[in-house]
Amino acid sequence: MKVLWSWLLELCDFDKQPTVEEGAKALTRAGLEVDGLTNLGAAFSGVVVAEVVGKKPHPGSDKLTLVDVITSRGGAPTQVVCGAPNVPEPGRKVLWAQIGAVLPAGEGKTITLASKPVKGIESPGMLCAEDELGLGEDHGGIVVLDEDDPTPLGAPAQQALGLADWMIELGTPANRGDVLGHVGVARELCAMLRGRVVLPDADVTPFLTAGGAPVVVAVANPAECPRYTARLIDGVAIGPAKGQLARKIAQRLRAVGVRSISNVVDVTNYVLFELGQPLHAFDAPLLTSGTIAISSAKDGEKLTTLDKIERTLIPGDLLIRDGDVGIALAGVMGGLATEVTNHTTRVLLESASFNPVQIRRTARRLGLHSEASHRFERRVDPEIAAFASARACKLICEVAGGKVVGDVVDSYPGAAPIPTIPVRLPRVRMVTGVQLEATTCKDALERLGFGVTITGDVLDVTRPSARADVEREIDVIEEILRVVGYEHVPSTLPTLRQAPGVRELDRGDAVRLALSAAGLAEAITFGFQSVERNEALCLSATDRRSQPIALRNPMSADQAVMRTSLVPNLLAAITRNQSYGRPDVALFEVGSVFLRRGEGLTERPSHELADEPTHCAGVFAGKRAAQIGEGTAWDVFDAKAYAERAIRAVCGSVAIKTRARHDVPYLHPGVAGELVVHVGGNDVVIGVFGEVHPQTRAKLGVTGAAFAFDLDLSRLPIAQPAQMSVIPKFPASTRDVSLLLGEAIPAARISDVIDEVREPLVTRVRLLEDYRDAKLGDAMKSMLWSIEYRSPGRTLTVEEVDKAHDAIVSRLVERLPAQRR
Amino acid sequence: MNVEDLLTSIDALGPEFETLIATFGDEDEQGIRNAQAQYLGKTGKLSEAMKSISKLPPADRPKVGERVNRVKTLVGKLVEDRLTAKAAAAAKKDLSRSVDVTLPSRPVPRGSLHLLTQVQQEAVQIFAELGFVVAEGPQIETDWNTFEALGMHKDHPARDMQDTFYVSEEIVLRTHTSPVQIRTMLTQAPPIRIVAPGRVYRRDDDPTHSPMFTQIEGLAVDEGISFADLKGVLIHFVSRFFKKDLTVRLRPSYFPFVEPGAEVDMQCSFCGGSGCRLCKGSGWIEIGGAGVVDPVVLAHCNVDSEKYTGFAFGMGIERMAMLRHGVNDIKYYYEGDVRFLEQFAAGGGK
Repeated sequence: MKVLWSWLLELCDFDKQPTVEEGAKALTRAGLEVDGLTNLGAAFSGVVVAEVVGKKPHPGSDKLTLVDVITSRGGAPTQVVCGAPNVPEPGRKVLWAQIGAVLPAGEGKTITLASKPVKGIESPGMLCAEDELGLGEDHGGIVVLDEDDPTPLGAPAQQALGLADWMIELGTPANRGDVLGHVGVARELCAMLRGRVVLPDADVTPFLTAGGAPVVVAVANPAECPRYTARLIDGVAIGPAKGQLARKIAQRLRAVGVRSISNVVDVTNYVLFELGQPLHAFDAPLLTSGTIAISSAKDGEKLTTLDKIERTLIPGDLLIRDGDVGIALAGVMGGLATEVTNHTTRVLLESASFNPVQIRRTARRLGLHSEASHRFERRVDPEIAAFASARACKLICEVAGGKVVGDVVDSYPGAAPIPTIPVRLPRVRMVTGVQLEATTCKDALERLGFGVTITGDVLDVTRPSARADVEREIDVIEEILRVVGYEHVPSTLPTLRQAPGVRELDRGDAVRLALSAAGLAEAITFGFQSVERNEALCLSATDRRSQPIALRNPMSADQAVMRTSLVPNLLAAITRNQSYGRPDVALFEVGSVFLRRGEGLTERPSHELADEPTHCAGVFAGKRAAQIGEGTAWDVFDAKAYAERAIRAVCGSVAIKTRARHDVPYLHPGVAGELVVHVGGNDVVIGVFGEVHPQTRAKLGVTGAAFAFDLDLSRLPIAQPAQMSVIPKFPASTRDVSLLLGEAIPAARISDVIDEVREPLVTRVRLLEDYRDAKLGDAMKSMLWSIEYRSPGRTLTVEEVDKAHDAIVSRLVERLPAQRR
Repeated sequence: MNVEDLLTSIDALGPEFETLIATFGDEDEQGIRNAQAQYLGKTGKLSEAMKSISKLPPADRPKVGERVNRVKTLVGKLVEDRLTAKAAAAAKKDLSRSVDVTLPSRPVPRGSLHLLTQVQQEAVQIFAELGFVVAEGPQIETDWNTFEALGMHKDHPARDMQDTFYVSEEIVLRTHTSPVQIRTMLTQAPPIRIVAPGRVYRRDDDPTHSPMFTQIEGLAVDEGISFADLKGVLIHFVSRFFKKDLTVRLRPSYFPFVEPGAEVDMQCSFCGGSGCRLCKGSGWIEIGGAGVVDPVVLAHCNVDSEKYTGFAFGMGIERMAMLRHGVNDIKYYYEGDVRFLEQFAAGGGK
């Protein structure tokens, strides 16, 4: 909320007036965050109030006027050249930007005026229009002050324009409806700086005229409308703001961001910003029934609001009615039909309070957020309704003439009783950590307008009516601490009473560390993505990843659905890097993917949460770095190696098996596999790796070959602490076997067959050669394997090794099948 | 064979061996070793000579033995000389090698942890030293855990502060890590000390706001926990994280789930508080929200708010990384741009 410093000070009484900086600091300490502090007059300097004492046409141009101005009574006139059409007659005051004046030139730049000839006649500066001072768009003519303007000659123009002031932009807490007016902020300022709040003058006696009640107010449900006041003002002249008071009101409104509309509407806005009470003025003669009724809308009932939009209402929306006819959307916006106009002479002024929850629902549903609804949503104290009404009546009569007819019509069952809150001093000390005295607490609360009686260790506290947010002991404790000052809280460390709980290894962190140490760069991508990006995986409709969880209100189509795989975002990152001229990319990500709960596509109740397994995926494109020149290209075995490294980071030295896969839709059917770990008696597929399918690559814009792996880390068993095995004392013997076999037999099959033999002496199996040549025969390949034999207890004899080796070779020849070469 | 003949033949073995090994080049170590074996091996010529000793009269035996040993020593010495000379030559040759060591090094693939991971892990570590353990929760959350249990009913104006992504009426993308507080308190009795790092989502997108970002939440619930403890923990954290003594300012603020509630400002790490561009001249930088856990929250989690009190705080990891590492646009974190990622590899940029 925007607050004017001069306005605040008007509502406070201090022994020693604080500076605006002191005020801003005090408000910050009170919890009203100062988001900005603006010197309103900073936009220009060197512009003074001057009086026109003579004018004549410029001899060289009929559009220019030579104007004589003075800046002190009886001073020598200065001649200024002016191009405006509205140079006033002598006796009126204008704003003269003298030589050396600094004026805004747009985009934060300024210009400094120098004396210069205009069509042959020297002009020491210029007379200013609004836009030249950065005050608005108006370039229709120079600013001419009103006849009764009291600003002395020679005074800075800021003084005449109400700009010798500071605007404070405050962030107000969502639970503090009471500080959405200047008087509420003044209350905080006075509490912090020990001042006294001075309420503005709301005495309507001078403007009263006798008369009966203009209307009957009928509130259907006081819970929805705790108070409704109406007052009639007769004989007003509605028009543009004129006169000192109206001008001051308009200037202040402009400073807090509200455009001047008319003298009467300005007053209603002014009182809203002053007291926090939204008001509404009806054109009284248009209300014909004699009854103001406040009741819920009927389903489908329509009302055209002041912004000329027809609103369709639902039950619950609260309407102000003239008899049966809706004339305003309570607390949100008035109706167009009964709006005051320049022809209005009788005004019915509404000052009321409404149920915050209902106003919020209506405003949100209609997307109609007004200054009024903003306040009503945060509660407007019913106690101030009549006072605000009187304040506005007085000001309206002062700026627009007219008389207040009769008494206020006030539908108010009375203030809800304010309960006493007992506050225990030991509790105050415990929660705050400050050894506060009862008298300190009492003083703090009284400065905020609370009532306090001390009985032993208990303070009995009653809140001011405006502070309905304070309901409980803890609320009062916060109030005490706010006034005492958070800065007076000591800093301590909590006592550790119990050892922290045990937490198992974080699989994600273990993998991050391993892969980054092994040479991959970690990326973090969004948890959501576009539908198209998900579809780039080409998943079948029975794969639950093909049915991502959609957001109801995404910010853009790029963020429409939750990711079901880390791979698309990472591949898109390759594309992005390629576009930046960085084609060599090796990235990984560890993060959650979001899957509909349950297998398959069964429609699940919407309240069921998603499965969020932690996955690790990596992508590779381009080449690795070389010592000199071009490095070698990343390939599928890099994807496999890093995937295995990730698995081992969690599982330790577990055996990882590879099986070829031809059916992973986003991987090349001939260059892909899955990684299997034996967990608890079962083979568990941890994930897949391979070359990215050209179709997927094309959909994501990746140029050239790319490789990827994707692992579900949540499936990985966490390794127990590794146990040392005995370092062998006796030498190993190695035997090689060269096999001629069918090209289609995978390498994994050879190790599987060797495993099947269960020869206990085998300690290591290595592939030395994988050789393909047409000379070997149709679709044949040659493989050279090396098998190491060792006994922990003795040196093996040649015969023992040969026997074991022969058994393995015969098994290979028979089972693969293969020929020994 | 008489003794004299035998001695003559033994003596002849020395020159004979000398001639033999001269036929091998320096590089032929194996040839030299084989020649040595022909003379000194088990079945070598000198061993044969020794075997014949038994056939001699005892008086002659020492003489023959002495001669055999003399020749053995000679053969050994000849072999050793040849090999030593060879080793010396090889060593000399080896030392004449030269490599241009100013050539580029062979690249060890240099990976990197994401800056946000580094900052998060470091933050978790700092809190771990104070006894906080990591707790986690899902990113797709119930409205109840995200808002209701934290004192924000559906019509609460505080919901305006966090523009929410909805999956359905009752399911949201969590807007903060605070639901982890609720999950923890519902499953664990005090004393509780957790930190909950994780991704959160809000409908916000500009150079300092991203629709997805990372928070770290702290919660301590125990007997006797006070606002002063919160202050102490935050000061400790900020000083450790920025590696200098920085103080923390708590400013009254409103979050429905803490009371007293506060915005957390830290002394500007750049200017130390005298005012600079980073802190917009104020000397303070806002880093998060905090406060004493509201009794309503404890009640929702069946924790006795008379017996136990607690504090909670939440901070943005992205913001802390921005402050400490000068990252000037939040979007860099999520683009997978290797030009950004490689700058934060262990050991610094390229």
